[in-house]
Amino acid sequence: MFARLPLPSQFDRIIITGGLVGVMVMGPILIALVTLYMMSRITGGEVVFYLASVVVLGGAIAAVSLSNLVHSALSLIATLMGVAAIYLMLLSEFLALVQILVYGGGVIILVIFGLMLTNAQDDPVVLDGSQKPFAFGVGAMICGLFVAAALLAQWGPLEANLVPFPDFGKRLFGDYGLPIIIVAFLLDIAFTGALVNARRAEHAGSKEAAK
Amino acid sequence: MIPLQNFLVLSALLFGIGFYGVLARRSAILILISVEIMLAAVAINFIAFATYRDPKAFSGLVFALFVIAVAAAEVGLALGIVLRLFRERRTANVDEASSLKW
Repeated sequence: MFARLPLPSQFDRIIITGGLVGVMVMGPILIALVTLYMMSRITGGEVVFYLASVVVLGGAIAAVSLSNLVHSALSLIATLMGVAAIYLMLLSEFLALVQILVYGGGVIILVIFGLMLTNAQDDPVVLDGSQKPFAFGVGAMICGLFVAAALLAQWGPLEANLVPFPDFGKRLFGDYGLPIIIVAFLLDIAFTGALVNARRAEHAGSKEAAK
Repeated sequence: MIPLQNFLVLSALLFGIGFYGVLARRSAILILISVEIMLAAVAINFIAFATYRDPKAFSGLVFALFVIAVAAAEVGLALGIVLRLFRERRTANVDEASSLKW
């Protein structure tokens, strides 16, 4: 079936392997969550939240631990789309759409372009440094600190409120107009800088030759 | 309704994973990916607090939007620098790019 599709075979294997791993990981979790839901221990919203969390955390762990650079970048897509689902669970649909547009459309493409342009075949790519255990310790420590702080703090009365989208727009371009302009300048400067930096330097070569 | 703590714990785990990635990985692009994960964790925290604690002021949502914009700018600029480094040095390994001028 896959031979008829206009896909390179490497990509087929990535899709099949990723799909199988995803089904094998998500299947038992889905069954457990649905069972809990049937026994009315958790609500439907919590089922969706836990599924999205599994996607987010699984994608993040794969992105920082896989040895293939392209697989890491593809796992990042799962993480960022899961984060968009988390935004939807937080009742802010506008930011979920922005997340999908900016990350799914722009950032991922840029990262994969960067990988393709810098992944030298003759060079052995050094993936992980020698400070891996140290890094694991520091990451676990920070994570434990934040989790303890979140669980031990006394929050006041908590309830999620739906943010009305027109009010958000008025507020964003009214009270936060100056920061918006500053961010626009920042984006402009950043992309100009990226262009200047990544351009092939013709003048530099001639200067070196003149010296 | 899902309690606020769930979102905070998820964000903490995500931040820890990203931090581990930044410290352990040596390829510049993979460090960039880990930074993206950390920024996503921060944005989840902003939006969770905005939705649960501060529904009328929108400050958290606006800051999450700024986090996304700054992340996009950071990726563009950092990839430009990585491409330049690769062209000059034939490497994307941050350990080999330790000198400021060459």
